[in-house]
Amino acid sequence: MMHSEVINVEENTPTVKTIYFEWKQEAKPGQFIMAWVPGTGEIPISLSSTDTIKSITVKSYGPASDAITKLTKGSRIFFRGPYGRPFSTVRGPTLLVGGGSGMASLRPLITKDSDAIVSARTAAELLFSDRIKGGKVFEVTDDGSAGIRGNPIDALGTIDLEKYKMTYVCGPEIMLKKIYDFLNSRQIRAEFAMERLMKCGIGVCDSCSVDGFQLCRDGSIFSIEEMRGMTEFGRTKLTESGRRIYLNY
Amino acid sequence: MFAYFIWTAPNPFITSDDLLKKDTMNRLNTQISGIRLDNPFILASGILDENGYTMKRVLDEGAAAVVTKSIGISERSGYRTPVVVEIDGRNMINAIGLANPGIDNFGEEMKIARESMKPVIGSVFGSTAEEFALLSRKMEEYGASAIELNLSCPHVKGFGQEVGSDPDLVESIVGEVKRSVKIPVFAKLSPNISDILEIAKAAEKADAYVLINTVKAMAIDIYARMPVLSNSYGGLSGPCIKPVGIRYVYEVKRETGKEIIGVGGIRTGEDALEYIMAGASCVEVGTAVHSDGRDIFKQLSLETGKIMKAEKIESIREIIGAAIRK
Ligand SMILES: Cc1cc2nc3c(=O)[nH]c(=O)nc-3n(C[C@H](O)[C@H](O)[C@H](O)COP(=O)(O)OP(=O)(O)OC[C@H]3O[C@@H](n4cnc5c(N)ncnc54)[C@H](O)[C@@H]3O)c2cc1C
Ligand SMILES: Cc1cc2nc3c(=O)[nH]c(=O)nc-3n(C[C@H](O)[C@H](O)[C@H](O)COP(=O)(O)O)c2cc1C
Ligand code: FES
Repeated sequence: MMHSEVINVEENTPTVKTIYFEWKQEAKPGQFIMAWVPGTGEIPISLSSTDTIKSITVKSYGPASDAITKLTKGSRIFFRGPYGRPFSTVRGPTLLVGGGSGMASLRPLITKDSDAIVSARTAAELLFSDRIKGGKVFEVTDDGSAGIRGNPIDALGTIDLEKYKMTYVCGPEIMLKKIYDFLNSRQIRAEFAMERLMKCGIGVCDSCSVDGFQLCRDGSIFSIEEMRGMTEFGRTKLTESGRRIYLNY
Repeated sequence: MFAYFIWTAPNPFITSDDLLKKDTMNRLNTQISGIRLDNPFILASGILDENGYTMKRVLDEGAAAVVTKSIGISERSGYRTPVVVEIDGRNMINAIGLANPGIDNFGEEMKIARESMKPVIGSVFGSTAEEFALLSRKMEEYGASAIELNLSCPHVKGFGQEVGSDPDLVESIVGEVKRSVKIPVFAKLSPNISDILEIAKAAEKADAYVLINTVKAMAIDIYARMPVLSNSYGGLSGPCIKPVGIRYVYEVKRETGKEIIGVGGIRTGEDALEYIMAGASCVEVGTAVHSDGRDIFKQLSLETGKIMKAEKIESIREIIGAAIRK
């Protein structure tokens, strides 16, 4: 287990905070760490900055994520990693599609050539749409409080996707599945950050597997080609105990 | 590189790997309690064996058989995270806490795993002979090729090692399970007891012993001033426990002569042959999946085949227990 000192905390939305800390380790966009809150729990969190100064951007869902959002400047952050196969990087125009806190792992991919579809339930929850420099931003909200009312597909349909060298997608599985279905018939390059329960982060416990691939090791980034033919994606997954449940998105 | 995993043929072990000549294949095949194995390498219980699709992939990628994660009567979520601690990249301490969906929910995973057409061994845990018998009958119904009795998990109260260190209870569990199923029954024993021979004797009705489970251990983070695992205690696995495993396999083989499945710290062909010469008929591999990836099974077959050829060993059978001094 490693640890570092928190050097800054930024409030991004009412429920999301970004915690900055120094860590000289080389890491790439799309990789994640297992962040440990002693006495509370350990959870997978994507790196939202991958330079010498690293950051994680966390939404409070439960005990561990909540405790991380309560870290303050000067406190210690415990973690291990970096883990996972990163996004591939390309030169030229890219499109980022982020749902909810999914924008966290896309942030290190932002260049002056990046356009973005940023979606959330409400305007207040839109994450990092202010960080897009140079490119266009399409905001989408469930309730219409900002931008397009609807889901990311409503924005995707209005964009000429062929011009992008890569489309990167991160968000809840239901969103990934809908976007996958929309993009599947088109000849475009796309990569998806998948999310499953992760207990070990190092490819042994099987809690994160999809079609026999361990998201923590073989992913969590997969290309659209790799996702074709995955029977479990968007359809079924295992709970904490290993019981199979059906999603059928 | 990744595309390679995705597009490998269903049985790449035989069809697409021309490095492995038929010659090596013949050397490597073996058996345990009448179950035929293409090679001596079995996936150990608790590693990549909760999801049927994962077990199927591990089998398709070269393991001769898999042992399922240990399944109990009712659903358990296991311990809070952290449930593993990495030590030096190759060893680890785990306290998953016997997370499992309960036997009634495990049939579908068995069905998916068995599409590989290779043996799937059902691992079960309980606290009484009746529970073990019921679980074993269910596993047999689901198509398991054998039962592995977890009498040895070191970190859950009322199960595993706590059950497995009481000779009378062990004797009644093994007896009851043997009466309940037709498939072979393996007893997985713990290294964390004072006299393994006493327990082995109590479990002598089993068709084979599985040695060893993890060694009870702990890691403390000095900066947090507390144990890392949420359960504080866990089980140590990986190359650092290999000498302990070798000793137990040797001792139990010498004293009982019974078939043994060796497990604990195997990650090279040499490790595997060491276990076999100590008395194992085949071996299970767990933690090496962490250090080397799922590819470890193919690597192990390749390495073991090469050493056997160089050492003029024609078959696994020929060297089982070869190192034992009477
Ligand atoms: C590879 C990977 C990268 C991740 N990166 C990030 C990241 O950068 N930022 C981030 O905020 N989160 C990220 N997550 C999700 C994060 O790990 C979970 O939110 C966290 O595990 C919740 O743990 P907890 O103990 O706080 O809450 P729990 O007690 O586990 O959950 C509390 C409640 O919230 C629900 N819940 C938990 N997580 C989610 C979720 N993601 N979406 C919807 N409902 C949820 C649970 O079902 C439960 O009802 C990532 C997950 C993975 C697998
Ligand atoms: C993460 C993890 C989970 C395990 N779960 C189980 C289990 O459920 N039942 C069991 O009998 N053994 C379990 N074990 C023990 C292994 O099957 C094996 O006996 C031990 O790890 C030693 O082998 P290795 O060094 O090759 O990992 C587990 C081991 C690990 C690392
Ligand atoms: S989180 Fe354990 S295998 Fe991926």
